[in-house]
Amino acid sequence: MSNEFLKVENVSKSYVGVKALDHVSMTVEKGKVHCLVGENGSGKSTLIKAIAGVIPIDDGEIIINGKPYTHLRAIDSIREGIQVIYQDLSLFPNLTIAENISLNQMVERRKKLLKWSEVRSFALSELDKIGISLSVDDLVEDLSMANRQIVAIVRALTQGTRLIFMDEPTTALTKKEIDSLFSIIMDLKEQGISTVFVSHKLSEVLEIAEKIAVLRDGKIVGEFDTAELDTDKLVYHMTGKKIEHTTFEYKGREEEAGPLLEVKNLTKRGNYEDISFELHEGEIMGITGLLGSGRTELALSLFGLNSPDSGKININGKRVHINSPREAVRLGISYVPEDRHHQGLFLDQSIGNNIIVTVLRRLLNRLSFISELKKTAFIDKYARELRIKTPSLGAPVDSLSGGNQQRVVIAKWLATDPKILILDGPTVGIDIASKGEIHNMITDLAGKGIGIIIISDEIPEVFHNCNRVMIMRDGKKIVEVDPKSTSEEELYETVKKKAAAAGRY
Amino acid sequence: MFERLFRKHETYLLIIIIVYSIVVTSVNKSFMSFENLFDIIRGSAGMGILAMGVLVALLSGGIDVSFTAVAISGGYISVRLIMATGWSNLFMAFLISCVVGIAFGTINGLIISYFKLPTLITTLGTLNAFHGILTTFVGTESVNAREMPECFVRFGSAKIIKLANDQGGTYGLSVFLIPLIAVIILTWFILRFTMLGRGIFAIGSNRESAVRAGFNIKAIQMFIYAYIGFLAGVMGVVAVSEVRWVNPVYLVGTELTVIAAVVIGGTKLTGGSGTILGTILGVGIVRILYNTLVLLGLSAAWNNFFVGIIIIASVAITSYRNKLKAYRSLTFRV
Amino acid sequence: MFRLKRLRGLDTNLTILFIILVLVVLVLTAFLPGKFLTGRNLKSMAFQFPEFGLLALAMTLAMITGGIDLSVIATANLTGILSALIMTHYITPDVSGSFSALIIVIAIFIALLSAVVCGLVNGFLISFVGVPAILATLGTMIFYSGIGMAITKGIGVVGFPDSYLAIGSGTALGLPIPLIIFIVVTAVVALILRKSSFGMNMYFVGANPIAALFSGININFTILKTYMTTGLLAGLSSVVMISRFNSAKVGYGDTYLLQAIVVAVLGGIDPYGGYGRVIGVVMGIFILQALQNAFTLFGFTPYAKGLIWGLVLIMVMIINFITARYQERARISRMLEDRRFNNGVGNDADAVAP
Repeated sequence: MSNEFLKVENVSKSYVGVKALDHVSMTVEKGKVHCLVGENGSGKSTLIKAIAGVIPIDDGEIIINGKPYTHLRAIDSIREGIQVIYQDLSLFPNLTIAENISLNQMVERRKKLLKWSEVRSFALSELDKIGISLSVDDLVEDLSMANRQIVAIVRALTQGTRLIFMDEPTTALTKKEIDSLFSIIMDLKEQGISTVFVSHKLSEVLEIAEKIAVLRDGKIVGEFDTAELDTDKLVYHMTGKKIEHTTFEYKGREEEAGPLLEVKNLTKRGNYEDISFELHEGEIMGITGLLGSGRTELALSLFGLNSPDSGKININGKRVHINSPREAVRLGISYVPEDRHHQGLFLDQSIGNNIIVTVLRRLLNRLSFISELKKTAFIDKYARELRIKTPSLGAPVDSLSGGNQQRVVIAKWLATDPKILILDGPTVGIDIASKGEIHNMITDLAGKGIGIIIISDEIPEVFHNCNRVMIMRDGKKIVEVDPKSTSEEELYETVKKKAAAAGRY
Repeated sequence: MFERLFRKHETYLLIIIIVYSIVVTSVNKSFMSFENLFDIIRGSAGMGILAMGVLVALLSGGIDVSFTAVAISGGYISVRLIMATGWSNLFMAFLISCVVGIAFGTINGLIISYFKLPTLITTLGTLNAFHGILTTFVGTESVNAREMPECFVRFGSAKIIKLANDQGGTYGLSVFLIPLIAVIILTWFILRFTMLGRGIFAIGSNRESAVRAGFNIKAIQMFIYAYIGFLAGVMGVVAVSEVRWVNPVYLVGTELTVIAAVVIGGTKLTGGSGTILGTILGVGIVRILYNTLVLLGLSAAWNNFFVGIIIIASVAITSYRNKLKAYRSLTFRV
Repeated sequence: MFRLKRLRGLDTNLTILFIILVLVVLVLTAFLPGKFLTGRNLKSMAFQFPEFGLLALAMTLAMITGGIDLSVIATANLTGILSALIMTHYITPDVSGSFSALIIVIAIFIALLSAVVCGLVNGFLISFVGVPAILATLGTMIFYSGIGMAITKGIGVVGFPDSYLAIGSGTALGLPIPLIIFIVVTAVVALILRKSSFGMNMYFVGANPIAALFSGININFTILKTYMTTGLLAGLSSVVMISRFNSAKVGYGDTYLLQAIVVAVLGGIDPYGGYGRVIGVVMGIFILQALQNAFTLFGFTPYAKGLIWGLVLIMVMIINFITARYQERARISRMLEDRRFNNGVGNDADAVAP
């Protein structure tokens, strides 16, 4: 028993009658790397918050270092050595690195006055312990994502930490930075510090974890040694279902059909350089590459939010200048953004309103007023077509699950009769079961003649759903690959190798 | 080093003040006289004290518009109480006024921290509420120079340095400078050297992170609004001593000008960013403007016109630069 | 910052508002028998509230787009002064009736035009330059009142022709003219908000300006048009106001600013934007007017009234806060249910691995 640092025993937590956590039991051993996996809504963040003492539990015990707690407070959890690095890193952008690192320490020690020399020297010594040097007087808001991550980790380590939770730490990191992060976790392990790594990227989970705990619907499905699992088994435990992969088959095109979209030598300083490609009707082209490769910047240029410095964009042979999203929509281009909640949806507005926001003009009757009939007809049509499951279309869209929300976003763009549909990270944060359905939906749309671009860093996604994959690195197009001519592993290697060769520091 | 200097907002403010002063002096030499400068300082003390409070509120990501009502309440109650009890003592005056100020400020703090209401609308409500309480329950009679207790009158005319002018009269540097400097130093110390001050910045920078870091948000917010109340109390005494009369309708209505001065000084409305120096310069610009309009031959009726233009120009420039930055980095976060 | 979640069950809230209105009327009638619910009193109220009502509508529009317009009163004052100057300058006792009518029309037109320009400046600062609405309208508020002050030196402009005074004090079809103006304008505004694409765009921009941008809405033009409309409403208000006061002066209607915000919040407008209905604001206006009227009948000073409005505003926000908390919990549970429902998963925790 003595090598257990944290033991969660039969913990339950309900919100207004719905069980977010249902008799959850979990162990974290000293100096081991654990992973916690689960779909959205499985209770992961509730569990973490309960362990961090940020929310109270209804039932059960949390035993830390042998000490049982039924009413754990945040300050207790911190004092016992538990630190959580949330996905947003919880830093203070307007303050310096030194302050960010030292502040928690000072709060915890109940200090009243500050000595700036102390603040700086403390920060410097902590950074030294990990062997990283940063200019501690810089403001955090000026740092890169990776450096912010480091500041967050250093801050978490300063308080006699024994256990660190990292919530989706790799979403904004390049491959090299992810490797650095993993080696830091290994260092922590050697110092006897445990890490619980929460991630939806199953390949990473299998790479770094020693033990994996799977949550589903508020219950622990099991705690496994990594050796026992592979991706399919993991997916099975997470969803309770076996997932089939279907592959997209491109219908091909007529001989003389010109390209729907032509991009020639598109350049935007600092974002991407000399990008050229073609897209035909009915094709699904994937754009992949690690973060920072310029993919989203390129997409935003096609959508009117990032005017390129030079180069040409042709639609159906005609040259176009896309200066605003409105123009893009007029030209038949639709963009499903990666940040669904802030850029794609009006969370408090009804599902129906979210669907018609792009096509208000089409709902007008002869008096230039919005016709309720047309509005309802539109909403019903697209809700049905995209199989949006909800008891009421008047309910606010934030009551839907991630998968359903994404359908709403796609619905609102389908309503514009697009010629070109760009999807940026279409299945990020969506449960595995819904992922497949959305992929099917996308391939159906291609079948109707829409030209589709999928931007993603999930190799299986682009492998199975695209007939062509463009790999970008550092703003340049590296290569275009036909998935049929290669295997998923090879594609993965190509992406990794090309990016590694970049040496991104 | 020079480059860093030029990126700072305060540098531009200083340049504007210097250039403007040169221009005005060339039109009317009396601008640069000691007498005029001392006059400007005397008139700026009140606004400067309040501006420190506004700065603290803005840094925490909130705002307070009720401080003028608090200030006049403190000043008026102080005067009436001293008149009634005959304790003509400057220390008593400040004590009474500050107690009133802290009391009102604490009410603000309670509402804002416990109910987490939007600070603008809440303090808009308390502005009217406090002013209403004062006028309804304390009274609306004005107190003129003859009736004003001696301690206020002496305070208002006391000088640190006395000099003689050409017409045989005397002028000098008002003692108002002392409470002003004291308040500035106190605020600077709190913001820079205490965890409380860091907490204020933290809340304004990222409230959620401040919660997770273990800062006691409620306590810090209580402090902020009580502190503003305290400063308003100080200013109340200064204000009534300055004009040597008091009437409950005085002062209220000028709050937005004070806020404008702080914003001109570079403090961001969203919180977490702002400096004491910038605030001082912002107040300086506004007060110099008031002062010089008269020297340039324009009546006080033009005050708002020019202050309005400066506010608009200043926030337009800052906001536009921020907007360009957001669009260029494709963050789009508003 | 804490965001007031949209009040679910909109109709329940409107019903509650209506009940409050009825209660207020009943209570006041009981306390002020023979004074409150008389034809004369009601008629005088019907003359008094429209100028404020128009300003409240202006504030509502700005708040729906997620902003605020602190400059509405200053705009109304300024435009009132401008049109007053035209009238008093060109209409002397010896001019003909038709010339006088022409000047009045021009004066009104100038008032409305200048008001729209004032709003245009606001809209431009907020949308194209990117200044936060509070700051932009704070600056313009001070600036517009500054212009008015510089022009008039604080002295009121007096001496309107009788025909102009008819606007503020006359009746048509048995109803006071200000009331008619208010009804027509309210109907138009409500129609625009509910039924036009402009109105829907306003809600979207207020709810989430970034998502609006990403959905192809022209947010700059939407905001520009919004503030031009608030300016127009302020201008209309000034036309009525100066007629009723028979003078134009800087500082008229200062108390209306707080009251306009109170009424908007009371009527269900979310200060963070994206939500609210005109009918709610109208009921808020009626409640406020009834209370104001009663206070005057009771003999309260303007300051006491201010005190009460301040308290009312805070109380309303606290109530909103409490209701929003309940709805947040309900939302979380609904969300969790939807996920379970859509994953179609039962209690397979003991399922055997393949």
